[in-house]
Amino acid sequence: MSKLADALDWDVAIDAYGTHLSVPDVAATGANGALKRAPRIDAQSVPLFGPPRFVPSWKPFWAKLKTAGLKFPEGIELAPVTAPREEQQAVRPIAPAKPPAGNGEPARKSTRVRPPADALSLEDRLFYLLQPPLESWLRGQELIMPFEPFPYQYEGIAWLFAQKAALLADEMGLGKTMQTITALRLLLRAGQVRRVLLVCPKPLIPNWQREFKMWAEELPVTTVDGDGPRRRLLWQIPGAQVLLANYELVVRDFQEMLKEESALSGQGSGKDLNIDGLGRVLRRVKTPASETGRSTLNDQPPPFLETQASPQSPVASPLSPAPSSLPRFDLVVLDEAQRIKNRDSLTSTVVRGIPRKRSLCLTGTPIENRPEEMASLFEFMGVIPPRSAPDIRQLTRLSQEYVLRRTKNLVMTDLPPRFDRDEIIELSPAQKLAYEQAEKDGVIQLNDMGESITVQHIFELVLRLKQITNFDPLTGESSKLDRLQADMEEIAACGGKAILFSQWTKTIDWLAARLTDVNPLIYHGGIPTAKREPILKRFKEDDKAHLLLMSYGTGAVGLNLQFAGYVFLYDRWWNPAVEDQAINRAHRIGQKTQVIVSKFICKDTIEEKIDKVLKEKRDLFARVLGEGDSTNESLSMNASEIFGLFDLKARTKKGGSKSIGPKPATGQEAA
Amino acid sequence: MSGQKTTAGGCLGFLRVLELDGGGFLGGVLVTNQIGRPLEFQCTTPVKPNRTQVILYGPTLAPFVYSELIGKTLFGRLDIKPQLIIVDQDALLDLRLHVPAQVARLANTKDDVSELPDELKLQCGRHHLSFHSDFPQDRDDAAGLLAALPGDADLREPLERVTEALKETLRTNAVA
Repeated sequence: MSKLADALDWDVAIDAYGTHLSVPDVAATGANGALKRAPRIDAQSVPLFGPPRFVPSWKPFWAKLKTAGLKFPEGIELAPVTAPREEQQAVRPIAPAKPPAGNGEPARKSTRVRPPADALSLEDRLFYLLQPPLESWLRGQELIMPFEPFPYQYEGIAWLFAQKAALLADEMGLGKTMQTITALRLLLRAGQVRRVLLVCPKPLIPNWQREFKMWAEELPVTTVDGDGPRRRLLWQIPGAQVLLANYELVVRDFQEMLKEESALSGQGSGKDLNIDGLGRVLRRVKTPASETGRSTLNDQPPPFLETQASPQSPVASPLSPAPSSLPRFDLVVLDEAQRIKNRDSLTSTVVRGIPRKRSLCLTGTPIENRPEEMASLFEFMGVIPPRSAPDIRQLTRLSQEYVLRRTKNLVMTDLPPRFDRDEIIELSPAQKLAYEQAEKDGVIQLNDMGESITVQHIFELVLRLKQITNFDPLTGESSKLDRLQADMEEIAACGGKAILFSQWTKTIDWLAARLTDVNPLIYHGGIPTAKREPILKRFKEDDKAHLLLMSYGTGAVGLNLQFAGYVFLYDRWWNPAVEDQAINRAHRIGQKTQVIVSKFICKDTIEEKIDKVLKEKRDLFARVLGEGDSTNESLSMNASEIFGLFDLKARTKKGGSKSIGPKPATGQEAA
Repeated sequence: MSGQKTTAGGCLGFLRVLELDGGGFLGGVLVTNQIGRPLEFQCTTPVKPNRTQVILYGPTLAPFVYSELIGKTLFGRLDIKPQLIIVDQDALLDLRLHVPAQVARLANTKDDVSELPDELKLQCGRHHLSFHSDFPQDRDDAAGLLAALPGDADLREPLERVTEALKETLRTNAVA
């Protein structure tokens, strides 16, 4: 048809414009006349033999749809709390969601669970994406909370819910305990975990019990304590969802169970270490000790253990189960996880062997002295191969994925301020005399020791001098006490409460005997555990108890004393992180007033020198925990700094003198 | 996962269909309990009508693809059958013709349901719902079910989760 149309068009064109066909210049043969004629076009009828052949024949057809599905695990149904709580009137439930924007009020922010970076399968990612926003989830559970979580706490809970390996390193006082308990609660309800072990320092057991009661009253928490048979029963009890135990007890019991496991399997001691708690296979390199089977968990830990996992793979996959008789957990939480900062310590070794699927570390100070301490925590979390030694850059990269750290400056813009003031105090005459004499004698003694001097010798002198700055043991004079009494009179007069920290229990007892006007309470390692909780309760509730005297070792971690507005550092600890922990007992969520921190420093004494070193360390600390610093610089108070506290000179044989310093490569470590 | 299909008392389905840039469709349904916790999720692979289907289905294409093709298929695949399916797309209301569960459409504003007779609309908290005109009984049945929800329940939020999940499946497929 198209050819025909073309032909017609051509014909019309010829007629319309009178175009003449050109006459080719050819020889006259008689045949050329045909070229002058217009073509003749005729139409012919074509008979139809039937209906047109193009019949649309179409039926609706759709290929069968493919679908993909995900069924969520059933969570643990927890019995509702039936007993009415006396304080229920005082608590504030989570506020209902605000209506969407449009009525003048901004829409309430909702916090969604995000899939972790290591969740690769679609099923895993959808599991997290399809969880409800935390705000509505918690509201739906009719969770009664003393305080509505802050937005950053919601973020923390969502992050903890999704991470299988996590280090929550929020600065002290930002609510790590509440975030952890709430995340546990949600994990249990979502069927993600069914059995949890929470390990904490012994003094913090009552604190965790109290916090669980407050934030998750319906969660049954079993504290592992009592004698051996009772503990054995508690470890194996099947229905216990949350087990609470202290580090010492965990180490003792798991050591015992590992030994029994080895004996039962007849594999000899040490064989149990071939698999860690995450099921990662460790390879024992043959050494004389291992060949004779002398190495046990009591030994210094195993530099000869290597992993079969590739060093390139950040997480070794579980290859085989851990020893069968050990209690197994879906999640192990380490509170104050800096306890395992030394990866070669017995505590670290045993804790890494606890069979578990998830690992969570809690600490406000992931680095106390050296960045390398984080490697031990990462090894427990299973994000680095056993015995590997990541450098600073690798640690930084791992931190971005597995560490969540927020500081008060960042998130708690409404937290009352903290004022630090250095109280520079002159020694009393008797103290000054005693101090100068002790320093003179001590330095002479050290100089006489010459090259044989060690850091321990210096420490002894430092401690002696620090004790004199606290009070003169001979006369009992103390200018620090005078200043403290003056401050406490003022604090007590206005009904305030203060916490005082000292390095020595002896100083605390000495102070308590001299501060009876303010009814001091004592809380240190010498107080039996059972009596500690009532002391804190009394300090909170007794209007006449204005002062709590605490040791750094016992009182610096985990306690909530936000009703105290004053903190005294009567003497200084070696590590600024520990001092910060102590201060943050008071400067934390719930604090209504400003917190005034008084650091007592005696003028022209060793305390001034220590203060200078601590300030420098604090600066270094901020650099490492912040971003960008990849220098492998030790943050500990190293041997040079300790030697530098005194101008020590050894006499030479020629009658001269030369400076005494630490011997090179002695490996002396920090205080 | 057990293969046994169950009808869970009081659970809700949230169904949404996404239209893709190239003209395809992708649907997902999330079943939750009364407090919004997810129980099951099903989604389809993308489906794209060809030119003939577009021409011949005309304006009925969307209701067909949304309800009969995607919605009915997804409902059939669910192990946990919800009693009430919440949607927020007009074309999904016809799903009611194909499944033995009530289907309620979330209206954007009160005005969207103002023209409807009372037996076809329901207010639940701050939400306004409409029902299929062929099933007026659905309103009362759904009212009984929705009465058990918290007063401030956000019925639109689970649909956002469905959207997020569908986008995630697209992203994952794109990567794969």
